[in-house]
Amino acid sequence: MAETAILYDASKCTACKGCQIACKQWNQLPAPLTAEEYEFTKSYQGPLDLDPDTWLLMTFSEVSMDIGVEWNFMRHACFHCTDAACEMACPVGAITHKETGAVVIDQDKCIGCQYCVNNCPFSIPRAKVIGGTDYAKSFKCWQCFDRTSADKDPACVTACPTDALEYGDRAEMVAKAKARVDTLKEQGFDKAEIYGENEVGGMHTIIVAHRGLEAHGLIRDPKVPVATNLLDLAKPLSAVGVGVVVGALGFSFAMGSKYKRGEHSYDEKTDTWTIGEVE
Amino acid sequence: MRYIQRQSAFARGLHWIHTIACMSLFVTGLMLFIPAVASAVGLGAMQGARTVHRVMAVIFIAAPLLAVVVNPKGFKHFLKNMFYKWDAGDKEFMAKFFPYLFTGAKQHMPEQKELKSGQALSDWMLFAFAIAISISGVFLWLSASGVAINGTLTLWMLVAHDVAFVLLGLMMFVHIYLGAGVFQPYRGSVRLMFGDGKVSESDALYHWGTWAKEELAKGDKVSVE
Repeated sequence: MAETAILYDASKCTACKGCQIACKQWNQLPAPLTAEEYEFTKSYQGPLDLDPDTWLLMTFSEVSMDIGVEWNFMRHACFHCTDAACEMACPVGAITHKETGAVVIDQDKCIGCQYCVNNCPFSIPRAKVIGGTDYAKSFKCWQCFDRTSADKDPACVTACPTDALEYGDRAEMVAKAKARVDTLKEQGFDKAEIYGENEVGGMHTIIVAHRGLEAHGLIRDPKVPVATNLLDLAKPLSAVGVGVVVGALGFSFAMGSKYKRGEHSYDEKTDTWTIGEVE
Repeated sequence: MRYIQRQSAFARGLHWIHTIACMSLFVTGLMLFIPAVASAVGLGAMQGARTVHRVMAVIFIAAPLLAVVVNPKGFKHFLKNMFYKWDAGDKEFMAKFFPYLFTGAKQHMPEQKELKSGQALSDWMLFAFAIAISISGVFLWLSASGVAINGTLTLWMLVAHDVAFVLLGLMMFVHIYLGAGVFQPYRGSVRLMFGDGKVSESDALYHWGTWAKEELAKGDKVSVE
């Protein structure tokens, strides 16, 4: 299977939240249903942030203008980075890349250490304690790998009524995004940009941000944290360290294989020390 | 043959407790350090390992702290041995130690006090890495338990924990090689912490000449077997 990507075109999005609901529905993620459970956010954005049961969130950046409020929408979910910091930090190999490029958490392996939560430069994974146990697990968008591996589009894509979401071959999605950015610029959206083509090794979510990255709440030039890179280096370096130390001690042991020492003794009355020589 | 009581029952007991805690932490830590191990043993074993890791971490930190409270005299003695100004003999010992270690221990080493300068150096390092791994471990535990700790700080604590783990692990190899007497000239030293704490007159004079002569002259820790 070739590398694939979701293309999100913010200029076509009406923020109807169909994708957010479809994600919840397909992945069977619970949502607060009563007024008591749900805190009024005074925003169309709800909930205000991702959580272990909300893997895709439509965000509303509300910018005050002379004529009112301008909304910049964004589909906030895992970007499925090629250089995925979460995968690098996972100590048990529970986070892996699928052949499509999707970064997936294997819940049967996740031990809930939450290193992925702290390492992701976008704060995407979220953890919660699983009912009936004392252990947490991390959750995030998995690009509906169950669907895509059966040649179906991710649930969010199927729900989009305006074709703001597409799914397909990554190279094709990048080409479409570039063409769209050119069109938008011709239409007067001077700040239109593509996001995800090269960031963090190349993402598997490609975004058209017609009002510029910052206006849509995207991080310009995101990086895998330095600490994450160090964690990734720690394993091979420690293997080298173990090899050097064990080798050195083995050499020392071999050199001492014929070691024999005579007895030492001390006469405290005469302060005389007899030294047993090393043979 | 005469023997000197070098390690007390208290010191040996504490060393036993710390050895068990250290080894358990090392094995369970290794399970969390190498992804292939986690895949091989499965989720249940990994969650069990995390629980053991935390229980042993409490023992690892609490045992020496408790020892300081219960036996302040012993702690004072430990500090006195650890922090002293190196004289020419101490410096000469360190200068000769690596040739000694790798060329069959033929070199004549200078007389040493109760703690060899190399032992003190190794103890300082073990002490520093143990403090680093303890502090970073507490942060990681709190973070994983839902205490709101800055994500970047947690990340760097994880790096510190990993680095201290690797360095401590490497130091432990050397500590065991020498301390348990795998290295031929150190044969018999395993008795000091895992036996009755006694060292023969001959070995004491060979390893810690200045200290051995003082103890043999005093005689209160000397027995004949």
